[in-house]
This record gives sequence, C-alpha cells and structure tokens, in this order.
Amino acid sequence: MDPSEVEFIAEKELVSIVPNFTNSEVHLISGDVGPFRAGLPVNVPIWMALNLRQRQKCRIIAPDWLDVEKLEALKEEEKSNRFFTKMPSEHYMVVAQLLLSAVDDDIPRVEEIRMAVKDLWDVRISKLRSSVDTFIKTGGSHARLDYLTTMEINSVRPLLPHALDFIDRLQKASEGASRRDMASQD
Amino acid sequence: MEDTFGEDDYFGEDEHIPAHEVLQTLEDAWLNEKFCPDLLPSQDSYVEAMMEQIQQMEDNLTKLKKTDFRVEVHHMELARIRYIITSYLRTRIEKIEQNTAFILEQETTRSPENPHLSEGELNYAREFLALQENHQKQLVLKHVPPPFQDFMSTQQSLVPNLRSHIFLRAKKDVNGVVIEGDRDTRDEEVDLEENSQHIMQYKPIANLIHDGSVQLI
Amino acid sequence: MSLCQSYVPNYFSIQDILATQEKVPCKFEMQVKHLGFLDPGSDKRDIEIGTSIELPLWMASVLNSQRPSIAEVGLPKIFKEAYRDIMKADPCVVDLHKLAQYFYEFGMCLCMLKHRESSEISSVLVESFKQRFRQILDWAQHSTIEVPESKKLDETEKMIYHMGREVGSSLYLWLTEGGSLITAADMVIQHKKMKLTQKDLLH
Repeated sequence: MDPSEVEFIAEKELVSIVPNFTNSEVHLISGDVGPFRAGLPVNVPIWMALNLRQRQKCRIIAPDWLDVEKLEALKEEEKSNRFFTKMPSEHYMVVAQLLLSAVDDDIPRVEEIRMAVKDLWDVRISKLRSSVDTFIKTGGSHARLDYLTTMEINSVRPLLPHALDFIDRLQKASEGASRRDMASQD
Repeated sequence: MEDTFGEDDYFGEDEHIPAHEVLQTLEDAWLNEKFCPDLLPSQDSYVEAMMEQIQQMEDNLTKLKKTDFRVEVHHMELARIRYIITSYLRTRIEKIEQNTAFILEQETTRSPENPHLSEGELNYAREFLALQENHQKQLVLKHVPPPFQDFMSTQQSLVPNLRSHIFLRAKKDVNGVVIEGDRDTRDEEVDLEENSQHIMQYKPIANLIHDGSVQLI
Repeated sequence: MSLCQSYVPNYFSIQDILATQEKVPCKFEMQVKHLGFLDPGSDKRDIEIGTSIELPLWMASVLNSQRPSIAEVGLPKIFKEAYRDIMKADPCVVDLHKLAQYFYEFGMCLCMLKHRESSEISSVLVESFKQRFRQILDWAQHSTIEVPESKKLDETEKMIYHMGREVGSSLYLWLTEGGSLITAADMVIQHKKMKLTQKDLLH
C-alpha cells in the first residue's frame, strides 16, 4: 500500500476545529457533521478540517496527545516495554504529519512536537525491525502484532510477508525430501 | 436552507441499509480485496447502490449555489468514495487478468446464488481469456508441433498462492484457527482475540473473511 | 497500485526458466543412442553407461524421473558438503551472485528431485535465507540509494530487496516531503478529455 493510501484512510479520523462561520448540519454519506457555530468547537474528519483550514474557514485544535511532554512520555514507555504500546491514535504518525504541516500558527511549538513524534516513530520502527528479524530467525509463520499502527505495518510490507512466503516455499520443497529420507531408513 | 442531502437511505431490494453502512462495507471490501491473494465475492450490489447515491448527490449539488461551502465538502467526499470504488474494481480486474483460467474454472464450480464475479467481470474474464488464447495461438502455438499446441496447459500454472501471508485484525473473538506446522514444528491452534492484529497464512483464515470475523489490513 | 504477490515459479516466469537452466552432473545408467553430441568431450555417436555429463536441470529431471531412471543426478559443486559447510559457517558473507545466482530456486528444484542429500540442502537454503534476511531488511529500509553490497545477493533475494527498497523510498519521501496526492492516471485524464471533445463535436 502506498503511504498516500494509508494517509487517505487516516484522514477519516475526527479532529476538533473551531469554525468562523455558522451553518446547520452537513449530511455526508459517511455520516452527519456539525452543526457549525462560529467560535464553538466541533468534530469533523481530518480531510474536511484540512480543506476548511486551507479556505481559512476554521482553526484546528491539536488533539491533546500532540504535545511534547506527552509524546516524550510515550517514547520512554515504548523504550521500556518489551511489546508495543497502544498509541493514542491508530494513525498517530499520519495525523501528526497532516496537522503539523497545515497549521503552523494554530499549534505552538510545532517543530518540537514534530521532533518528538519522529523520535517516537523511530523507536517503534527500530523495535519493529528487530522483532521482524527475530521472528524470521526463530521460524514460525504466525505472530501477533497488537498496537502496531497501519503506517508501521505498511513499512514492512511486502518485505515481511514475501520473506515468510519464500521460507514457506523453501521448507515445502524439503518436505518431499524428508518424507523420502524417512521412508528409506526402514 | 435545510440540508436534506444524504438523508435518503438506500433501499436495497427489500432491505433498508443506511448509506453510511453501504460505504463502510465497501471500504472493508476494498481493503480485503487489496490484500487477499484470492478473488473475493463481488460486492457489486453495494457498488451499484453507492454509484446511484453518488449520482443523486451530484444532481442535488447542482441545485445549490456554487459559493455554498457545502458544495466543495460534498464533492470532496464523493471524490473519496469514487476512489475507493475504482481502486476496488481495479484490484479485482488485475486479479482476473492474472489468473483468468483459474478464476473462470472456479466460478463454474460455484452455485448460481454465490457468484464471485459480477456479470461485467464474468464477461470481461471470458473475453480476456479468449484474447489471450488467440494471441498465443497466432504468435506461437500454431508454429509449434501439434502435441504442444494446447493453450490451456500453459494457463494451468497461473493460480493465486493461498499460502501467502497476510496481516489481519480480528473483528470478534475467533477460536481454534489451525496454523500448519513445518518440518520441525507441529500444527498449532490459535485463538484470535477481538481487535488483535496478526500476520499469518491466508489459507487457514480464508473462510473468516467471508463471514466478517476478520478484516485484512 | 498493482498487486503485490510474492514470487512463485510459473510457466511464464523467466526466473524459473533461468534457474532450471543451471547444470547438474548426470551419470548415465543406461546407454543412450545417438545423443553422444551432448557430451562435449566425446566424439562417440552414443552415450555409454557410466558417462557423466553436465546437463541443465530441466533435462536432468526428466532423465531421472523415468522408471528405470536413465541417469542419476549428482550434486553440483555449490551444494556439496564443502560448500554447504561454508554457508553454514557464515551465510552473510557469501557472494551468492558469484557463487550461484539462482541459489535458492535451483536448490529447491534439486530437493524436489529427491536426491539423497535433499534434506541437508534444504536446511542450508532455509537457514541461509533466515540469516541473510536481516541484511536485506536493513539495506532496503535504510538507504535511498542502492547499496553496493546488494550485488552479492542471489536473484530471489534481489527481488525481495528491490521490492523493499521501493517501499522504503516511498515511505522516506512521505516522511520528509509530506507525500504525494493520489492523482488520476494520465490515461483517465486523456479519456475524459476525449469524451468532452466528442460531446462538443456532436453539438
């Protein structure tokens, strides 16, 4: 899957905006949004928030996890945890990328937040890579990947599935041989 | 002005399925199709329903003033939905083109109530296979000695690899999935907890996609 | 966005054609008339019993599968014990491109011929790949440029590596530049333009 497709999926997530206009509910096919009252926060999908922001019709409120201290705490938890920690958002990386690049003046300390998100991402990706390597080396064709986000899973696709498929083929080729070896030992 | 667009629910045959559910079904089907090595049952009734919904929306939108902020928002949503549908259909066509003979043969073994190909896809598959056969015959097969002129024997080998590994999320608790062991390990039985994510071979969970227990991710 | 199926040998696969072209020593167990020309070192008309000739795997497997078998298939150098031990010692340093471009595919075909030493061969194949995979993973995800050491990979490993690199690059681009928009294919845009022009022509 292309990263832009992961982004496409992530854009459905809701974010809080403060519109500068008033309008009744909008009945989208995917559900209702609004009503919009100037100055009052309302939740809309990110794709819509970005569009409205671009047209200068709203201000975007950063989700509360998009904060330097909170992100650093998450990073520390991730480092000390053997498994993967649950992220505040299924698409934390995409949401961060999208919101931080669209809204420099709405969100304070943008650069620091960007760094904090990237650090968290790097820790998790590096852990993922080691886990993948261990998984391949110890064999087996099944693993549990709770709390990995879509973009992270996508980073090892198709490398990991293809490697597993290949090992499966290598082992199947031998199975014919082993059965024959066992038979010839009679 | 009251915004009544999108309030119309879709009446599918005798059922009353809300539009947002149709959309969710299509999104799930899109992802499943993208990651599945095999061709899944077609969701063409949902596709048609959504296309109708889109058409209706577009007609309604022409009645609004161009400056109405909702126009752009609705158009954006429609573009998103169209993308999902076209990507879904394109993925299916790619699979059909790759494993044409196998897919057609499988289709003949299925009961008429459970087709995997939509009517359009079935026609396309047949035409495509005929084109391939003709192309190969003209280019190569008619020039080789008679025992080797059989087109179908070359097609036999193009089948989807059902042993491929896929990523999935369990939508509900599923017990007793059997993971095949290899030369050094025995078969293993695993339980999939609701919302857990896994990587494993496609074969053992193939039927779980059909009943909605798992979603490919 | 095209389908991302892992490689499986099939009738049309060039990889498979080349892998099965690799030579194996064949010891003839019966006389074969008129095929003496297959042995470059002989000027006889027939192949005599006991002659050993290097033949491509696709031919060897046919000769071997007849009952009684026409020729016994030996092991090529790279799958003999000495080389297997080298692979076992440190699979990561071996230059497979030089040693055996189609190491895995060729090895798998040999195993399927049910040779006496097949299970040892398959162990080497599986273990080597498992060890070497870490390198492929790192090279694919770390660099935006092609790593020179990747030239030492066997052909199947290269396929996996290139696939991984493509993904790694697009992820890197997305992370650094904020990614690209999903755009309509040129063909679709042209088609739409054509339709519009046709509509105009009808008026």
